[in-house]
Amino acid sequence: MKITEAIKIIDDNWIVKPKGFRVCMQRREGSEWVIDYTPGEKAAPLDSDVTTWRTAWKLASSTPLREGEPQEGDLVNLYVVDQDNNPVDYYATGKRETFNAYSV
Amino acid sequence: MQTELTAKAERLGFVLREYGADMVQAMVILVVGLLLLQFIMRKMKVFIDKRTKDSARANTILYIIYTLFLVVILTSAMITLGFDSRNVFRLIILGALAIIVILLVLRPYLPTLPFKVDNTVKVGSLLGKIEATTMVHTRMKTFDGKTVFIPNSKILNDFVINYHFTPTRRLKIDIPIRHVRDILRTKQLMESIMIEDPRVLLKPARPVVYTLNLVEGCVKMGARCWVENKKFWIAQCDLLEKILIAMDRENITLAERRKAIRVFHETPLQLSSEGENPEAEAQAETMPPATEDASFSAVHDHDEM
Repeated sequence: MKITEAIKIIDDNWIVKPKGFRVCMQRREGSEWVIDYTPGEKAAPLDSDVTTWRTAWKLASSTPLREGEPQEGDLVNLYVVDQDNNPVDYYATGKRETFNAYSV
Repeated sequence: MQTELTAKAERLGFVLREYGADMVQAMVILVVGLLLLQFIMRKMKVFIDKRTKDSARANTILYIIYTLFLVVILTSAMITLGFDSRNVFRLIILGALAIIVILLVLRPYLPTLPFKVDNTVKVGSLLGKIEATTMVHTRMKTFDGKTVFIPNSKILNDFVINYHFTPTRRLKIDIPIRHVRDILRTKQLMESIMIEDPRVLLKPARPVVYTLNLVEGCVKMGARCWVENKKFWIAQCDLLEKILIAMDRENITLAERRKAIRVFHETPLQLSSEGENPEAEAQAETMPPATEDASFSAVHDHDEM
């Protein structure tokens, strides 16, 4: 096997490099929970998972879970996804993480 | 004397009678034209700035428009003044050709600044974005918001790093670890973090981690990877954060700054009774003479690790 072939196998299979990140969340609209993303699906994703997780955390901290019935504009189940909508592990814990976890 | 003055006054009167109206008209054309040009250029600048983010290109377009309008105003004034229009056009064409030839011939010998407007450069200890250049100085905006006017002579005599000549930069993260047993885990961890970052490029070289050296019991690990110029700073901060957190999670101990202190007593050790403890007595005798103002001294303090 040539070295170029070996490198190609490594590049294709060892660690798949994501193309970008988005914050995925559920937003209360009327009486329903709607899945939303930031940046939006039509916009270019962010290239930093650190920035994306920070955005998710700030969003979650800005809209903390309240007791009682959910209200218009509440944001729950915030986590980071890649360009294909696959959840991304939180770099701080190395595990899946969800901010404002709420059973919908 | 008086006749001379009278003659001069008569000649002036004649010139004013003959050409006065034309001169006034030419002056009006010149003044109004220049004022109008200033107004048009301001409007054009706003218009072009809205349509292009490339300020260097915008400035070039504005400069060309300004020159064309200026030539039109000057030509109109000269023709109004009574110059032959054919001669005026010949003069303009000759002037333009002369300028072009001079520029082409002298260009290799003219000192040019090694950057353009909007380039990010480092001149001496100043790092920032070039906002404008003139014949005398260059205006730079540093990243902490300061506007610095640097004399061009200083730029031409100093080292200049222009970050726009190459689109990529190599990023370097050196981390000291304490234990040799953690080398492989650290290497894998650093490499994985770099590879899975979308900003890290595979060309001109793939990310790599080296075991750089072993100094005073600390192993220095060095990560190297390439990123785009524009993303360099944030990518470096993010990668360092991720590597440090991951190392902490994996219980890989970072080498800390070490400080060894040797204590010298000013006075000999207090002995319980003379002659009873010969070992302590011998130790006290072998102590180096104490200085007057210091009872201890740091003998080793290395910042490198």
